[in-house]
Amino acid sequence: MLKFYENSSVLVSEQEQFERDIQIFINGEMNPIQFKAIRVAHGVYEQRERETYMIRIRCAAGGITPMQLRKVALLAEKYGAGEVHFTTRQEVQIHDAKIDQVMDIIRGLNEVELSSRGGGGNTIRNILTSPDSGVDPETTFDVDPYAIELTTRLINEPDSWNLPRKFKIAMSHNSKDSTYSQATCLGYVAEIRNGQKGFKVFCSGGMGARPMVGNELLEWIPDTQVYHVARALKSMFDVHGNRRSKFSSRIKFLWKKLGDDDFKRNFHEYYDQIKDDASLNLVLPVVENKANDTITLPVINESGDAFDTWKSRYVFDQLQPGLKSVKLPLKLGDLLKEDADLLCDFLDHIGENTIRCDRAQNIRLRNIPEKYIGNLYNVITKMKMTLAALPPFIGNMINCTGAQTCKLGICLPRGLSDAICDRLIRTDLKLDEITDFKVNMSGCPNTCGMHHVADLGFFGKIGRKDGEIFPMYNVMAGARTGHAGELQYAERVDEVASKYVPDFVHDFLAVWIDKKDAYKNNYIEFLEKEGKALIKSLCEHYRDVPTYEQNPEVYHDWGRNRKMTLDDMGAAECSAGMFDMIDVDKKEIEAQSEAVKVGLTGNALEESLYNIAFRASRMLLVTRGLDAKTDAQIFEYFQKHFITTGLIETQFTDVTSLAKLGLKAELVKHQETVLALGQAVINLYKNMDDSLRFKTDVKAAEATPSTGPTQKDYRGIACPMNFVKTKLALETLTKGDQLEVLLDNGEPIENVPNSVAQEGHKVLKKEQAADGHWSVLIEKC
Amino acid sequence: MMSLREDQIERYSRHIILQDIGGKGQEKILNSKVLIIGAGGLGAPVALYLAAAGVGTLGIIDGDVVDASNLQRQVIHFTADIGKPKVQSAKEKIEQINPDVKVITYYELFTSENAMRILADYDFVIDGTDNFPVKFLINDACVMAKKPFSHGGILRFDGQTLTHTPGHACYRCVFHSPPPANAVPTCSQAGVLGAIAGMLGTIQAAEALKFITGVGDLLTNRMMIFDAKKMNFRTVKVKKNPKCPVCSETPEITSLIDYEQAVCDLKDRH
Repeated sequence: MLKFYENSSVLVSEQEQFERDIQIFINGEMNPIQFKAIRVAHGVYEQRERETYMIRIRCAAGGITPMQLRKVALLAEKYGAGEVHFTTRQEVQIHDAKIDQVMDIIRGLNEVELSSRGGGGNTIRNILTSPDSGVDPETTFDVDPYAIELTTRLINEPDSWNLPRKFKIAMSHNSKDSTYSQATCLGYVAEIRNGQKGFKVFCSGGMGARPMVGNELLEWIPDTQVYHVARALKSMFDVHGNRRSKFSSRIKFLWKKLGDDDFKRNFHEYYDQIKDDASLNLVLPVVENKANDTITLPVINESGDAFDTWKSRYVFDQLQPGLKSVKLPLKLGDLLKEDADLLCDFLDHIGENTIRCDRAQNIRLRNIPEKYIGNLYNVITKMKMTLAALPPFIGNMINCTGAQTCKLGICLPRGLSDAICDRLIRTDLKLDEITDFKVNMSGCPNTCGMHHVADLGFFGKIGRKDGEIFPMYNVMAGARTGHAGELQYAERVDEVASKYVPDFVHDFLAVWIDKKDAYKNNYIEFLEKEGKALIKSLCEHYRDVPTYEQNPEVYHDWGRNRKMTLDDMGAAECSAGMFDMIDVDKKEIEAQSEAVKVGLTGNALEESLYNIAFRASRMLLVTRGLDAKTDAQIFEYFQKHFITTGLIETQFTDVTSLAKLGLKAELVKHQETVLALGQAVINLYKNMDDSLRFKTDVKAAEATPSTGPTQKDYRGIACPMNFVKTKLALETLTKGDQLEVLLDNGEPIENVPNSVAQEGHKVLKKEQAADGHWSVLIEKC
Repeated sequence: MMSLREDQIERYSRHIILQDIGGKGQEKILNSKVLIIGAGGLGAPVALYLAAAGVGTLGIIDGDVVDASNLQRQVIHFTADIGKPKVQSAKEKIEQINPDVKVITYYELFTSENAMRILADYDFVIDGTDNFPVKFLINDACVMAKKPFSHGGILRFDGQTLTHTPGHACYRCVFHSPPPANAVPTCSQAGVLGAIAGMLGTIQAAEALKFITGVGDLLTNRMMIFDAKKMNFRTVKVKKNPKCPVCSETPEITSLIDYEQAVCDLKDRH
């Protein structure tokens, strides 16, 4: 059986844990943010409508077999919206599931060896390849076997599941680079040198709200090195990536932070260690591009204008003589269950290796024997919801799901895409002349709709008029794609209200189609000479927006019959991870501490103090890779990994022991210590670097300097001058030196050590003398 | 390394407490030299804050005397100073604020004749002028002398500022050349809300201190623009122009130019 990846051997036990977590969440015993971090890693996202979920299913190399697709469609009908959704990242999704059905879907996927694990979260995401790799007559060599084996290898490695942020990989089958290798974390472009298969390697690209074009990481590697490079980059990212801010944690930001030389030098530290290890070479699966040897299907011969038009638009010669690849354009990426059945019934006869997902949310069929093209046409005409009767331009438009399901969406590109389609097909524009023209749209500045690589791109924004908001799009143009290493993103040119976008697209394309021969089909030249000016003048033409009273339609987005609202917008789902979980505990510690200080009594006080001790003990366990199964274990881990290692002072041993034993009433006697514990953990967190290691880790192992500490007496000096002086004294010392300061009791001892610690120094010891003053020993860091 | 005196530790304690500044940052400030061109609406708050911050040497150049109409915004000058050279008036205030500061005054206009000579002694330059010809002159001179400077402009309720350091966009990268004389009102013609001068001048002062201490991100390749009527602040990205007439690798402008000034700017100068 053909498989596009092998699931990890621990997947089933991970799913069992997930099932328990779902139950705990349903019972109201788990914080939604914590649950988010767990479910997103299983590819389960909450949709815009609360308590409605979608499940993203991995399709490495965009591949799925007819048998698998049939199962996904069945699950979609039984538990979801009834259709399979094809994404812009060559995967499939089931929408509109309820939380108590999620496990049924996941178990159903297991039956056909598909998985949603890693559909989201900070891990190796779906690995993309050119959808016609291996069948395109211009294939340098087929990259699908590499993507398949690389996926299997990486999703079976435990350290792939807790990276600083998502890690996206793409592989192009020739130098036209249809996967945009410079717009992804790690991109490979097939290139044969001296008869040896190999790849150019690009790194650190990415679109999103802060797009960056990827850089060349390695000029060329032999194909045996594909895994070594991915492994080295993953290890480097794991150690050096920014885990503190989810907004600058992608590999592109690491490159920006380190610069070309430092990034490459760092990468080579990891790569050089493993590059000569041939045992790591990928063992490539055989992915044959052929049809079944015997096909017992009566041949249907089709003829007529409609068939000829369809054939000229959607049927292509393959590298393999006698076989055809066929593009099946879907309406907004959706495939109905009954349509999936019709299609798979046919494909079952042809073979397993027949389906790829592409990035325009269409299906690419392959390995169809020429004589069965009529049969396929017959099937497609029976399907209820495809765009196969329309010019390819329509199906090539890309849109994200936008505010329809996504929590970040501002506009509704699905509605817009429909509206553009309606607007264009009732004109006589010769759309067959601009088959490859890319109109891409995203509902917000994130790039799920790939507007950065569009010929004409749109991304949603909020327009305002007289205090009312209306949906609007930024207009982008001028991306240069199609040559590996020379990617340039589209630039923003102007903006236009959503309602006028279909007219705008029509007016613009009319001019381009008219002039394209005069420009010898050089769109970039057209843009520079007159196209951008045309965009601006059209935007100007549509600039004047009526008031809501004059025309409420302008304030409704396409596909939604009500006034635009952003009330239901939420936080991004996909990045949920360590940071959010730490933040939940931190905020709770702060809130409970505040409550205690205001003056709780009795039972409420006991519970609050226990809560602080519990959260303080748990908060940073995740940074050490610890996953406690019971409450008692949380306190044990904390004592073992934080107190005995010296990261947290030993004075907190007693209160954590009391909490572990559940002696909540006892905690009241140690109220100040519990509060100090909360603060100490928060301070330790603040002191961590971006990779969430402790600055003090390194120091701990070093021997104490032989000379005694410098001593300063700051008794009698009020805050903050005592801290100012301590700080100046530390500046005169070198790293590792110790300073002993004498401070008064009260405000000085409460403030100065904390302030010193916040600046990154280590407070080694605090001792109170008989007369009440304190001696504080500080190590300069 | 100089070390801070006790009174300095106290005076500058709120700087020293800042993690990014500390004692070493304060020492940098005390050792720095800043030239303020124009002791008017912008120059006044800049001079006051830089003096208070302990900038070691402040140069002030201005050819005007204090006029009653200046007092609405030029907060370093007081009623009793009317008729006094602005540089003198400013120097007296600075010395009262902070005796650590050495003030050097130039009672003259900033021109192509004296520009390079005066600039040479300073680490950072503040453009506190109110007319385009001098703004372009300051830009060209600073680019040629490789001196960082803060451009500032205010009019009515609006302000804009950009920091240039060598290698980043200069004022000419953004605005190619001055508008024709009298085409654009200067604030002496058009009016300005007094507090706007304070808002923009203090931003310029903060940029100077950030440059001196190396803290944070300067307003380089970014122009900050605000509209105080709506109280909207925004920064606009600007790019270094590879064909900039003055800061490109093959500049067209290689010597300083005194552009023609609007007549009204000059009529009551001394």
